Amino acid sequence: MSTFIKDLIELPFLQNAILAGVLCSIGSGIVGTYVVLRRITYIAAAISHCVLGGLGAAKYLSVVYGWTWLKPVHGAVVTALLSALLIGWVSLKAKEREDSIISALWAVGMSMGVLFIYKTPGYNEDLMNYLFGNILMVSTEELYIIAILDIITIALTCVFYKQTVAVCFDEEYARTRGVNVEFYYLLMLCMTALTVVLTVNVVGIIMVIALLTLPVAISSKMFNRVWKIMLGATVLGIFFTSTGLMISYEPNLPSGAVTIVVAGIFYFITLLISLFKKRKIA
Amino acid sequence: MSSEVPVINFENVDFSYDGSEELVLENINLIVEKGEFACVVGPNGGGKTTLLRLILGLNKPLRGKISLFGQSPEQVRHRIGYVPQFSKFDSNFPVSVLDVVLMGCLSKSFWWGSFSKKQTQDAIEALETVGLKNFVHKSFADLSGGQKQRALIARAIMSQPELLLLDEPTASVDIHGTEQFYKMFAEMNKKFTILIVSHDIGFVSSKVKSVICVRKNLQIHPVSELTGESLQKMYGLDVHLIRHDHRCSEKGHSCPHL
Repeated sequence: MSTFIKDLIELPFLQNAILAGVLCSIGSGIVGTYVVLRRITYIAAAISHCVLGGLGAAKYLSVVYGWTWLKPVHGAVVTALLSALLIGWVSLKAKEREDSIISALWAVGMSMGVLFIYKTPGYNEDLMNYLFGNILMVSTEELYIIAILDIITIALTCVFYKQTVAVCFDEEYARTRGVNVEFYYLLMLCMTALTVVLTVNVVGIIMVIALLTLPVAISSKMFNRVWKIMLGATVLGIFFTSTGLMISYEPNLPSGAVTIVVAGIFYFITLLISLFKKRKIA
Repeated sequence: MSSEVPVINFENVDFSYDGSEELVLENINLIVEKGEFACVVGPNGGGKTTLLRLILGLNKPLRGKISLFGQSPEQVRHRIGYVPQFSKFDSNFPVSVLDVVLMGCLSKSFWWGSFSKKQTQDAIEALETVGLKNFVHKSFADLSGGQKQRALIARAIMSQPELLLLDEPTASVDIHGTEQFYKMFAEMNKKFTILIVSHDIGFVSSKVKSVICVRKNLQIHPVSELTGESLQKMYGLDVHLIRHDHRCSEKGHSCPHL
């Protein structure tokens, strides 16, 4: 612990890592609340797995064709948005069998990523980093991108708060009030896509969904207004990512996994407490 | 009275889901005049909810024409107050009662910022009308079934609609509560035209002005004409008509409401 604090003051990469955790938690706290309330966790998971395709393709193009200006994160943003719009379109048009189509995109996107990474010459530590995250590798440039995505998410949420909450609560009624339900649904999916991209750095593709849902699940046991849950989930997210980093630092454990385990433990504790409370009332 | 444009007008409407030839509603002709308090009854799967969705413009008819206030359903949605069944919601959704009611004026509100003072005042007045004055800042999740239904009614009336559509408003309310609901509706009927969907026919009869029976096709009865025979025709099997207001005792029979 003391080593961690000493290094945190001295080493910029560790400061970047903490900052990355904070910035990601803002996005995932806000967007995670939409994901949980609108019950689109499965779609969010599909988008995050599709992102591997974009990461791999960008890496491949930059190494093989010398497109050095193309960073993996650019590929990730494009794929995430494309897959969000595609999945959104599918789920709006095809009311049935929507989950099979989403599963197909999930698997194909991921396979494309694996193939691109396999065909990219050189050392391929990247795959593990993409899958499980490596918060210690976050560059200052990536921090800027994460901050910009955060600002976009916060701005959209402030502007469309009433409409998005109404659509999550009662889509059909919102439609009868003249609210463009399809637009807000796609907007939520695009916000999810952007958040997934920025969270991939911290916990990796596979565990993104945990960072999106666990803080919200805990927060929603404590608060009963949408905006309070968003704030609560953000604070919890910051706590989990920082604690995860701190615990994993000295024993050199994968920080993403430790973060999720910490979040999971807190989630099960709050679940037990709420069960206990219910029994007491009953 | 009839010189005015009818609130709801169905002309030879056929409807089926996904354009198949298996009709859910067949050759529906329906006129609901201003000031009416009508109740749509019929067996489950008989097309009651479909009829509501057509009125709201959420589904389009296969054939025929639907007009509300002489216009297409989409054009006049803002003049309709729709009350869905509360049971289809996530019962733990984190909103306050006031938040829910304010959703009733989404279309009139600017697309960002908070609701205006006037809108909040309207919402609180609507909550007073439905008897939830003391629940304004409570959590929607903490309300009982009947209270949730009342909050949804407040949401529908806060935008001052001309037509109030209610989908099974008393589905989860006990008999005593149901009576109170219908008293409230009768009071609201002074201001709005009301159309209720219900399968709870015996009880509805005492307050509503006309009954619309839907089982693929449609019949309209004034309340007094509703007999066992017409019910039997509608349900397609032998049903017993039970009078809840009829009491048998040694001193003879009595009907307290008549």
